[in-house]
Amino acid sequence: MSQVMIETEGLCKHWGGLKALDDISLTFADKELHSIVGPNGAGKSTLLNLLCGTYKPTSGRILHKNEPIDSIKPYAFARRGIGRSFQKTNIYPSATCLENCAIAAQRYMGGSFNFLKPRNKEPVLLHIAEEALHKVGLGHRKDTVAAAVSYGEQRQLEIAMVLATSPCVLLLDEPMAGMGHEESALIIELLKQLKKEYCIVLVEHDMDAVFELSDLITVMVNGQHLVTGTVDAVREDPRVKEAYLGQGDEVY
Amino acid sequence: MLFQKRSERLFIWIFFPLMLMMPLFLDGNIFYINKLSSILIFALFVMSLDYLVGRCGLITLGHAMFYGLGGYIFYIIAPQNEAVNFWVYTFYICVISAAIALIVGFLVLRTSGIYMIMITLAIAQMFFYYFSDSMEFGGIDGVFLYLKPETSFLGIKMFDLDNPTHFYYLCLFSLFNTLVFFKVIMASKFGRVVDATRENPERTTALGYNVFVFRLASYVIASALGAYAGYLFSMQYGFVNPSMLSWQTSGTALVMLILGGMGSIYGAILGTFAYEGLHYFFEHLTEHWMLFMGSAIILMVILLKKGIAGYIEKLLEKRS
Ligand SMILES: Nc1ncnc2c1ncn2[C@@H]1O[C@H](COP(=O)(O)OP(=O)(O)OP(=O)(O)O)[C@@H](O)[C@H]1O
Ligand SMILES: [Mg+2]
Repeated sequence: MSQVMIETEGLCKHWGGLKALDDISLTFADKELHSIVGPNGAGKSTLLNLLCGTYKPTSGRILHKNEPIDSIKPYAFARRGIGRSFQKTNIYPSATCLENCAIAAQRYMGGSFNFLKPRNKEPVLLHIAEEALHKVGLGHRKDTVAAAVSYGEQRQLEIAMVLATSPCVLLLDEPMAGMGHEESALIIELLKQLKKEYCIVLVEHDMDAVFELSDLITVMVNGQHLVTGTVDAVREDPRVKEAYLGQGDEVY
Repeated sequence: MLFQKRSERLFIWIFFPLMLMMPLFLDGNIFYINKLSSILIFALFVMSLDYLVGRCGLITLGHAMFYGLGGYIFYIIAPQNEAVNFWVYTFYICVISAAIALIVGFLVLRTSGIYMIMITLAIAQMFFYYFSDSMEFGGIDGVFLYLKPETSFLGIKMFDLDNPTHFYYLCLFSLFNTLVFFKVIMASKFGRVVDATRENPERTTALGYNVFVFRLASYVIASALGAYAGYLFSMQYGFVNPSMLSWQTSGTALVMLILGGMGSIYGAILGTFAYEGLHYFFEHLTEHWMLFMGSAIILMVILLKKGIAGYIEKLLEKRS
């Protein structure tokens, strides 16, 4: 097994009386794709929000490369290479697709306190941004304003922005939701490539994609960890079937 | 290109040459030249507010505080009976007000939206009452500045500030430079992050930017330029008084920038001129000018959703 990138120890998040996450201990390894599945409201997005620093845990620890990171500032997570895409599209609607990615790439390229250098005169940065668009199949849209592209394309842009930050950990929250069949296939191919290099945490409802891509699957129900295992192990696990069927939610 | 929009280029090519020739048309009519100078100064102030409100998305009702501070700082640091150098004092005043803005911004920018409006207002009112209650600053009447600075730079005397026409050109020069300055930083890599923090601060944080620091930097820049405008104003008639930092001054500036078109920067000039033009027109028409003025502004804001600048942009788009 390869090196552990992110580790959680007894992670809890409570919203008032609601235990959105309850005592979650997981490890995410480098160069592996680890999926998190579970019915609606299981706490999947909450888990990602804690891993990328948007929310602080109620208790428990998060380690990145064996260093505790739960007390660092929200923006510092991205600086450590933890990149995150959102379930609810979260882009800059009035900027062009290229500019959306350029904002993402500029963080680690530096020069954000350069008051004089024109933003459109930096070929290297723009090249990185364009590359990211090409990877998700949005190359032809680079000069279109993000608000004007289709919903599916905005989902693609969402992923391109994470790629443009050149992360080492990718936290993807339902990246394929709302995409057409062709685009999903493209993203699945892309993720297959990416998982050779990165640590990927994928939250996804599309079970076919999850089974096709995952090295490990974790099933969560009501904020609690149910089971973690390989695709085959999870598929056969009776508790998983019960959890899904019992809730009358999604049947696969 | 620095001025990307056609409307912007058109405005600049009409406005600045016209203003350059204005003293010729007015033929030394000092009243009107002085009037124009004070409009140019206020346009500069509104422009700095537009950068904060329109470009950074930081709504403040306390910007006039820096307008007033520009004047008071000048009064405090300049010797009474000796003409100081204009450029040196420009530097001092910008640095001191930037330092004050750094502290104030540090408090104010922890909040946002309605809370930020309240806190900026509260802090500005604190300064307002401090100066109106201080005997050493002449209370509500303010203080006089008897000597105008001299403007030599590298041994060349550039403007004679006792001459209204010279002072007018200094104001025009300052306004143009401020416009270019804001356009340069808005087009820069820094401006890219500022745009991002306005449009989607959560995502900008998730991308690894410390949003607070970018807001603070913008706040400091805008405040220093607001203070510069106040410094020019205090020099024009040679006095400073607390009404410069009253909330009415902040409010008027906000109305002007909404009228002109928020976020466009050059719209600040349009808004200031439109407001002052309406003011002048109604004032000479009726004693109830406030009533008519208010109605006219409400109408314009409703009809021109993106202000005068936005309206011009739309007209040009249609034609092309
Ligand atoms: N900011 C918040 N404040 C209060 N409760 C919240 C908040 N965010 C999430 N929750 C609650 O926490 C629980 C878990 O939500 P979460 O979004 O993590 O679920 P999820 O597994 O991502 O579901 P879905 O599949 O619908 O995206 C839900 O009951 C939700 O209502
Ligand atoms: Mg979710």
